[in-house]
Amino acid sequence: MSNASPIWISDLTHYYNRQQSMPTLDDINLSIPQGQLTALIGRSGCGKSTLLQMVAGLLIPTEGAIRIRAHTVTKPSAKWNMMFQKPSLYPWMTVRENAALGLVFAGTYNQKKDRVEELLDMVGLSEHKDKNVQALSGGQQQRVALARSLATEPEVLLLDEPFSALDAFTRTALQTEVAQICHDQNITMVLVTHDIEEAVAMADQVVIMSHNPGQIVGEKSIPLAYPRDRNSAEFAELKDELFAEFETIDKAKQDKPFERLEVVRPKSTAPSVEKMLQQAS
Amino acid sequence: MSTAQVALRAEFFSQLSADFKKMPLWVQSTINSVIGMSILLLMWWIGGILIASNPDTEAFADFAPGPALAALWSLIGTEFLNETIISSLERILVGLFWGIVIGVPLGVMMGYFLAVRQIANMPFQFLRMISPLAWMPIAVLAFETWDGAIIFLIVMATVWPIVFGTAHGVQRIDPNWFRVARNLGADGFQMLRRVIMPAIAQDVFAGIRLAVGVAWVVLVPAEYLGVTSGLGYAINDARDTLDYATLAAMVVVIGVIGYLLDAIAVFLIKRYSWHAS
Ligand SMILES: Nc1ncnc2c1ncn2[C@@H]1O[C@H](COP(=O)(O)OP(=O)(O)OP(=O)(O)O)[C@@H](O)[C@H]1O
Ligand SMILES: [Mg+2]
Repeated sequence: MSNASPIWISDLTHYYNRQQSMPTLDDINLSIPQGQLTALIGRSGCGKSTLLQMVAGLLIPTEGAIRIRAHTVTKPSAKWNMMFQKPSLYPWMTVRENAALGLVFAGTYNQKKDRVEELLDMVGLSEHKDKNVQALSGGQQQRVALARSLATEPEVLLLDEPFSALDAFTRTALQTEVAQICHDQNITMVLVTHDIEEAVAMADQVVIMSHNPGQIVGEKSIPLAYPRDRNSAEFAELKDELFAEFETIDKAKQDKPFERLEVVRPKSTAPSVEKMLQQAS
Repeated sequence: MSTAQVALRAEFFSQLSADFKKMPLWVQSTINSVIGMSILLLMWWIGGILIASNPDTEAFADFAPGPALAALWSLIGTEFLNETIISSLERILVGLFWGIVIGVPLGVMMGYFLAVRQIANMPFQFLRMISPLAWMPIAVLAFETWDGAIIFLIVMATVWPIVFGTAHGVQRIDPNWFRVARNLGADGFQMLRRVIMPAIAQDVFAGIRLAVGVAWVVLVPAEYLGVTSGLGYAINDARDTLDYATLAAMVVVIGVIGYLLDAIAVFLIKRYSWHAS
């Protein structure tokens, strides 16, 4: 299966409760390309985390469906893994034990011990494997969480602002590493972020969301090679263009704060399960 | 005393305290423990002298450290003492077992569900404040054997600290730990084994430590009644036979075993504690 989208979001609408006049997410249609990094940006409260948690199977939408390959997502699975803003490591475990946890749950840790070691080496924690995770810095802890997410060999990795609590140096380094991992290991990634620079630094395409109601109002591809030079003219230009798009949306929102924006987006029509199975074979 | 002498003394003590602070911490704490125990022994000894020198209390002179420790020495290793200790420990352990079996699930429910917490809090706080010994008449009616009644009292003593300790632990669980574990594919049992139990272990053991303390204190008076074994019975028996040296020796045994039980609980708390100091 070459370039078919592993993730399809079709006609997704969500209300947290029935009294809401506006849906939290409004008629979302989106397909995410295989093996690439898609950034989801938008103002605070526009529903990015909500959407991502639905893709992870941690929340069920009011209407519509999400499919990851031939599965309709109804519950979490180690195949589509989520990384949160906080590393949320288990403080009674060592670095190694934390990273191995998904494999322990799957009962495959004994066969795949080497994978945990390799991943910890890859994220630069070789010397810290036997330490308690509380002895690590914030950036190191987020690296453990990354290794933990990758250990189960997920097809899809969902990242909800995983770097926002880190200092600028650590953040930049991890941004580069994660984008690298995405392409090296052919993992489909969706990254939620507030940070336009982060989106341009990491993503192959950027999806722009607006709030009240949460809807997708734009998509933009970032045709830059990796590793990316943040000081290049193209980088600056793409950043400016994204900012400009944001400002246009904000202006439109100021005039009609609680209305849908008219956006002309083609509805992504998800292929039927049968067709996807055909493609897969 | 001349001023020079006073100054000399002051210097001597300040030198002493400076030397003391230079020693390794474990040496300092050992020395301090020895000082503490010496003070206790000294007070016991003075008490013995006072009792012996007063004609009204003269008959109880065997309470003093000399006769008591001699009695203890001759008791150590005897079948009588071993059996006495074993039957007391057995009651404590069985009571503690039921306290844990009842208390931990209750505590988990209280910690997890706000409604359960709100419903249970007042009645449990109320029950907790009742001395377990106050249940004695009811226990005697409800249980056929004295042993059953005593274990019931122990359970009434141990269950509350365990309930509140467990509830406290569960309340402190970071909700993200559940989310991450679910996300990594944990099932219900794995969640319990890998997340919930290690997360609350230290709080459960802290509850158990309090429970053991209360239970041990309650056990001795509970054994005054009915049963013909155990430390409480041995004390009562020694009183009836006017064997005050043995009585005091038993008091020492109770203190030592209580201390050891507490040390085990402290060890477990440390072993399962994960808070960075
Ligand atoms: N559990 C919930 N119950 C009710 N409303 C919720 C809940 N979680 C989020 N919301 C609301 O849904 C909207 C979208 O929230 P969401 O967390 O998805 O936003 P976000 O885009 O991730 O914001 P941020 O960038 O600040 O993380 C917000 O208005 C929020 O108040
Ligand atoms: Mg969010």
